[in-house]
Amino acid sequence: MTPGLPIAEIWVYLAGSPLFALLLTLAAYEAGVTIYERANRHPFANPVAIAVLIVAAGITLIDMPYAKYFEGAQFIHFLLGTATVALAVPIYQCWGALRGKVLPLVASLLGGGAVSIVSAVGIARLLGADSTIQKAMMAKSVTAPIAMGVAERISASPTLTAVFAVTTGIVGAIVARYVLDALKMQAWWQRGFPIGVAAHGIGTSRALSINAEAGAFSGLAMGMHGVAGAVLIPLIADLVV
Amino acid sequence: MIRGLIILLGFQGAGEIISRLFSLPVPGPVIGLVLLLVFLIRRGKIDAPIDTVASALTKHLGLLFVPAAVGVVMFWPQLRTHFWAISIALIVSVTATIAVSAAILRFWPGGKTGS
Repeated sequence: MTPGLPIAEIWVYLAGSPLFALLLTLAAYEAGVTIYERANRHPFANPVAIAVLIVAAGITLIDMPYAKYFEGAQFIHFLLGTATVALAVPIYQCWGALRGKVLPLVASLLGGGAVSIVSAVGIARLLGADSTIQKAMMAKSVTAPIAMGVAERISASPTLTAVFAVTTGIVGAIVARYVLDALKMQAWWQRGFPIGVAAHGIGTSRALSINAEAGAFSGLAMGMHGVAGAVLIPLIADLVV
Repeated sequence: MIRGLIILLGFQGAGEIISRLFSLPVPGPVIGLVLLLVFLIRRGKIDAPIDTVASALTKHLGLLFVPAAVGVVMFWPQLRTHFWAISIALIVSVTATIAVSAAILRFWPGGKTGS
């Protein structure tokens, strides 16, 4: 396309404003949700995974650098913090149901959290991944915005940590049903909580789409893991990697 | 809608201030979550404006992760070299985490009934 044509000028303007990144992200997510619903909410049709693939393909196709994309999409990214605060609402809704469950929930969180770190770092090391990758695995089960803060504290790459956290969330949302079925987990709160421990916000998003109680307990687990991870992971980071 | 947004952003801001003021390891939004939870418990109900915004945000939680997740594109060369190590580590680890976390709940005294 020769420069100077109106369409090219319009394109230059659009690529420079946040409009394109926002539109692409929202449209990709909408497509992801539509496919998820059409597939009867099958775990493998994860809407976040579909949206990420569409956006990644889109910006690669038009040669847009990630930094440029993020400049526009940061408005969506910012709301992660607000959404974290908003999780107080589903947690409050299951507050009355917590009586007598606090001890097993804390044990489940600490057990799951420990397994998450040791297995990820151990396997990555065993298979020859370097220490940059091992370190970025530390906080992967903690929700992305908190994981990035923890990563800074333990001098791991925040971006790589976020990538692992999001991938973990997507994989967790996909495998959860099969693992929970294999263990014959019945009660919704017992099915929801482990999802939040392992797969934070994306897992919680999946749990909420299946059952409100499972979603609330998944959100509770995500919040608890966020607090516990932020405090405990920096303390044990030096021992593990 | 706007009132709910102001309240949520207010709690988020209060969380940020507390986190920075006392240089806590816990990020602002998590402190905001705890503050809002305490507020709701003391109040004993969820006001409609908070409910509206909170439901909208938590319903589309997945969308908010998309921009960060696209960062995969940036790390592709590094990830490709260690593709199998990373994939196996993440898949096995998340499966083991869910399994252990679930097993603890199930085999905790009285946990089997799930009531």
